[in-house]
Amino acid sequence: MKKLARAIVCFLAMTSGVVSAQRGRGAATAPSGPPKAAAPIDLTGTWVSVVSEDWLQRMLMPPRGDYAGVPLTLEGRRVANLWEPASEAADGCKPYGAPAVMRVPGRLKISWEDDTTLKIETDAGMQTRLFHFDASTASGSPKAQATERSWQGYSRAEWEQLIQRGGQGGGLVPPPPRAGSALKVVTTKLKAGYLRKNGVPYSEDAVLTEYFDRLSEDESEWLLVETIVNDPKYLSQDFVTSTHFRRESDSSKWTPTSCEVARGKK
Amino acid sequence: MRHAFRALAPLVFAAALAMPRAAAAQIDLSGEWGTTFFEDILHRGATLVPGDNTGVPLSEAGWRKAESWDEAVVGTHERQCVPHPVQYAVRGPGNIRMVKVIDEPTGRLIAYSLQGSYVGHFRTVWLDGRPHPSDLAPHSYTGFSTGEWVRNTLVVKTTHMKMGYLDRNGMPSSELGTMTEHFIRHGDHLTVVTFIHDPVFLNDAFVRSTDFVLNSAGNAGAWGMCGPDQIVDELVDRPAGYVPHHLPGTVDPGRETFLKTRNVPLEAAHGGANTLLPEYGARLRELAKNPGAVASTEGLACGGNRCVAPPRNDGSDVRVTKVQGKVYMISGAGGNIAAQVGDDGVVLVNAGTGKVTDKVVAAVRGLTNRPIRFVLDTAPDLENIGGNEGLAKAGANGGRGQVAGAAVIAHDGVLRALSATKGKNGPLAAVSPGSWPTITFSGEIKDVQTNGEAIQMLHQPAAHSAGDSVVFFRGSDVVVTGDIVDFTRYPIIDTAQGGTFSGLLAAVNRIIDITVPHDWQEGGTMVITAQGRVGDEADLVEYRDMLTIVRDRIQDLIKKGMTLEQVQAARPTFEYDGLFGATSGPWTTSMFVEAAYRDLSKRR
Repeated sequence: MKKLARAIVCFLAMTSGVVSAQRGRGAATAPSGPPKAAAPIDLTGTWVSVVSEDWLQRMLMPPRGDYAGVPLTLEGRRVANLWEPASEAADGCKPYGAPAVMRVPGRLKISWEDDTTLKIETDAGMQTRLFHFDASTASGSPKAQATERSWQGYSRAEWEQLIQRGGQGGGLVPPPPRAGSALKVVTTKLKAGYLRKNGVPYSEDAVLTEYFDRLSEDESEWLLVETIVNDPKYLSQDFVTSTHFRRESDSSKWTPTSCEVARGKK
Repeated sequence: MRHAFRALAPLVFAAALAMPRAAAAQIDLSGEWGTTFFEDILHRGATLVPGDNTGVPLSEAGWRKAESWDEAVVGTHERQCVPHPVQYAVRGPGNIRMVKVIDEPTGRLIAYSLQGSYVGHFRTVWLDGRPHPSDLAPHSYTGFSTGEWVRNTLVVKTTHMKMGYLDRNGMPSSELGTMTEHFIRHGDHLTVVTFIHDPVFLNDAFVRSTDFVLNSAGNAGAWGMCGPDQIVDELVDRPAGYVPHHLPGTVDPGRETFLKTRNVPLEAAHGGANTLLPEYGARLRELAKNPGAVASTEGLACGGNRCVAPPRNDGSDVRVTKVQGKVYMISGAGGNIAAQVGDDGVVLVNAGTGKVTDKVVAAVRGLTNRPIRFVLDTAPDLENIGGNEGLAKAGANGGRGQVAGAAVIAHDGVLRALSATKGKNGPLAAVSPGSWPTITFSGEIKDVQTNGEAIQMLHQPAAHSAGDSVVFFRGSDVVVTGDIVDFTRYPIIDTAQGGTFSGLLAAVNRIIDITVPHDWQEGGTMVITAQGRVGDEADLVEYRDMLTIVRDRIQDLIKKGMTLEQVQAARPTFEYDGLFGATSGPWTTSMFVEAAYRDLSKRR
């Protein structure tokens, strides 16, 4: 009897090890408590964009009609083709709206505004984004509905949870959600603006979904922002990009430049 | 006892439940994934421009190599079936498929197989904790990948990559590079963040994040194999060994059009880590006034680039690597030694310096108790013949002939080189006559048949020396190049022993004629060179291309009337120095250029 019990205990220990090993480091059930305290990853700090993708469109002014890679509708193309280089100065903050601002070369400062609001400031264009975790501020809530349209819109945030579906050993016990390792943000109430600074448009109907992940690589820390823009007016399908930022130890290179000033409009 | 089982049954049931959960606890990456193709379309689509290195942290060696690249090179026979190398494949324009590999007895997920996007052979990402191969193992276009879950991300480390490219416009990626990928899934979206580290062609990590969407109705595996049935004569009326490339100063004409139409300053088009940061915007505004300006690297050692090859095995660690068939490689004895092992005994190709012969013998004894029958020398160098005497004495020729130990066979040129040094100074003068070949041949071929396998010693005239032989194990399909090829440095051209640059290059081309790759231009005939890892034809082709490009550059400079000193100052080997160069020691880059210059000057 003792031998049998020992064997079973060993078996359980071994299988438990398998579960642990296969889940990998950091797997856990979904967090609880205030969003700031429950954060599975720390996104705060200063981050610099490393422009190793779309360099021509991001670091230089692309020519009119360069919407290569953007799945524009015919109407979107028509509007993009209306843009004139001469109008650049009058564009103001149009290229710094939430669907595009993460792609603008620059630095981000991320901090907690309070226990339920995460803040992102950009030095390029001097924009501030507020991510609301409070359930009472959900997209359809009166508070959200009352929010006026703006370049950064209204952003509802949640820590990602991984829902396990289906039976587990016959479906006797519903499995709890697992903690994800990302921040999901959905932004609405946007003012119409540009996906690229040469007038490639998004409309005020656009809905922006983003995932923020944090990565470690070779003694440096990275932030990855996956951006999914849905705009039935100007986009024929979701426009997906992912933008990476490297963590900086301080803010010494922070260079705030207003989009009004940067674009020549006071 | 029955009561005990009843009492413990819930525990057993709970344990059983834990088993299927194990595999389900991760993020499932399997499925067909369609690439979104929204980013970098100018670098990934048909509009790819040679000379557009924007957004890539290339070193000067990197952009120079990219500028010398001529797209016609993909039409050469040896490159028509080269797949997208792993450094680029995920970024390519194709869809991918991730397939779970489950170990049936345990039910555990032990690997993912990554397919599609012209990745060549299916790429395996091992999740079972196995180590990466040794530094002497062959490289491949898929590399060797292992993965580990970090939170909900699969982090994949890849080593053993072949020389490849970062984009299809010739931006290079060296075999000294490594790669880390982070596979991140959110719902129906998969993002693969790729970090490439390359000490030769990059001056910072190259980061890209590539997005895919779940594509359940798609099929990423429509590429099939690429083999001899798809290799045709694309480049006609070209001499054997022709390597298309641009000489310095004669870059692809498309680049100028690109610079002009996109208003890209030349410096920015070269790429580089500094061009990727937001503050480079200020420099771009300066360059707008003078778009042809380029930041000077004057005063920086080696132009700010790596200019020496990595250190080699110092000989203190004798190791055995299985190559294929009956052939092994013994390294660490001063030069690579090949060992063919079978019932007849052991055939060695080369003998090392002789300093660690006891370790070499021990290594052979670790493979077989059969005697060493033959030692075949490929050239008259201490690294090849220094151990002849000791190894021959440790062996036995089975009572044939007049020699008590193993027979030592070499081309007549080896014996002549050794006997000519008697009474003179130099490294070979110290070699005892006991290490001289006991059997020589003066023709083109010497045949040896052992262990059921035909072995051919193929003389290569006036290559590294006047006495070179390449040894071809026909059954095992392994070629031993001797000093004609050295994956760790520029080849030594021993002009005092009759070596010539032109003869050496001809010999490399002849070896390429012998080797036959599998599909996707890798594997097949394997190659053991003077030093370094095991290779194949694709590695030889890279080495041959380097020699050909350097030859063409030096010839061009000679035509312009340049002196040796001027040619050396022009650094015709620049972008290869981080792979093969040396600034000190017995064979420096400068000596290599001098040997090439003197030979090519005579042939004008």
